[in-house]
Amino acid sequence: MKIISILPFLICILFVSQLNAQKGEVKMNLQYSYALPMGNFKSDVISNGSPRGVTGDILYNVNNKLSVGLGLGFQDFYQKYPRDVYNTGDKEVTSAVLSNSVQIIPLLAKAEFYPLGGKQSMVQPYITAGAGLGITSFTQYLGEFGGSNNSAGFMAQGGAGIFVPFKKFGHSGFRLGANYNMVAYNKDGFKNLNNVNFQAGLFFPLH
Amino acid sequence: MISKQLVVAVCTACSAILFGCTKEPLNNLTQEESRIYTTNSDTTTNFGNYKTYSISDSVAVLDNGQSYKELKPVDQAYIDAVNKYMQQRGYVLVSKASNPDLGIDVNRIYNTATGYFSYDDYWDYYGGYWDPYYWGYGGYGYYIPTSYGIYQITQGAVSIDILDLKNAPSKNKIDIIWNGLARGEGIFNESNADGIVKALFDQSTYLSTNQ
Repeated sequence: MKIISILPFLICILFVSQLNAQKGEVKMNLQYSYALPMGNFKSDVISNGSPRGVTGDILYNVNNKLSVGLGLGFQDFYQKYPRDVYNTGDKEVTSAVLSNSVQIIPLLAKAEFYPLGGKQSMVQPYITAGAGLGITSFTQYLGEFGGSNNSAGFMAQGGAGIFVPFKKFGHSGFRLGANYNMVAYNKDGFKNLNNVNFQAGLFFPLH
Repeated sequence: MISKQLVVAVCTACSAILFGCTKEPLNNLTQEESRIYTTNSDTTTNFGNYKTYSISDSVAVLDNGQSYKELKPVDQAYIDAVNKYMQQRGYVLVSKASNPDLGIDVNRIYNTATGYFSYDDYWDYYGGYWDPYYWGYGGYGYYIPTSYGIYQITQGAVSIDILDLKNAPSKNKIDIIWNGLARGEGIFNESNADGIVKALFDQSTYLSTNQ
C-alpha cells in the first residue's frame, strides 16, 4: 500500500523530467475526479460514489487536433455496510460489519482528439482514449479483521469533455469531462472494477 | 510557461491531499462495529431434543499456550448472559450432578505472541482444561466435528461451547455441537457481554428446545 501511495508522485517527477526534453508543446492536465462504480463493482463491492480522486495527464501536441501522452490518476472507493450475517463456511455463520476499500491507480498511454482544433472557439470539445495498467488495492474487512489484495491488470479508458482556454487560442484553461474506465480484476470471486469518473480541472503548458 | 519546480510542487501537494483523504476502513469503525460474531453448529443435531443444561462456574482462560480457570466480573457477565438466553430459548438450568442434557463452557482466549493462533490447537487440548471428569464422564474424550473452522487471531476471543452430554454415554465421547465466538474490540468488557451473547443466539435461531 505504501508503494502504491507514493507511486503517482514518483511517476509525475519522472514524466516531467523526461518530457521537458521533448520538442513541441507539452501540456499537463490536472483534474479533480468524482467516480461512480459500475457493473459488478457497483453490485458486489461498492455502490457509493467516490469523491476522492485526481487525474493527471502529460500530453504532447502532435498537431492542432491530436495530443498523445501518458495519464495517471488515483481514486479511492470505500463503503461500510451495516451489520449483517454471512455464511463463512459450511456450518459457520458470521455476523459482521463489512467494509470494502478499493484504490485504483491508472497508468495509461493516452490520446486526445480535438474536433475543432485550430478553429476559433472558446469552448473546445475533446475525445480521449487510453489503455494501460490499472494498479489496484482491494481491502475487505469483516469487523476489524481482513486483508488486502494488490494487483495490476489491463485498463482501458474512453471519454469526452470540453476545455475552455483562459483567453482566445490560450494554452491554459479549464477542463470538464467524463471517462468510462474498464479495470480488469479477477480475485476472490470479484470481477472487474469498472467505473465512470467525472473530472474538472486545469490544463497548462509545460514546455 | 510553467516551471518544473511548480509542477513537482503541485504533484506533491496533490499527493499529500489525496492520500490524506483516503478512507481508512479501520479508522471508520466503532468498537461495536469492529466485532465479529461467529457460530458453528453441528447441523445433524436437533437442538429441540435437549431440555436441561448446566454451565461451568468459571471460565477457562487460554493465554498463549497456558490455561487456567478464573472468574472475573466479565466472566460472570458472560455466564449470566448465556443463562439468560438459554432460558429464553426454553432450556432449564440444572446442577451438574443432575445429568444435564447439555454442558456449556465459556472460554477466554488470548494470543499476544506474534503470528497466528489456530483454533485447532484450542480444541486439541480441550480435555486438558475442561477435563471430561468435570462433566461426570471421566475417561471420555471430546469429539470435534471436522467442519469446525480454523480461525487465526492476533488479539483475543471469547468462545462459548455447548456440549452434548445427553448422548455421551451411547457415543463414548462428548460432542461439541455448538460454538459461539466473539472477536474484536471490547469483548472483555463486562458491559458488552450481554449484547455479544445475544448476537450469538440471535444468529442461532435453531437453539431452542421442544421438550
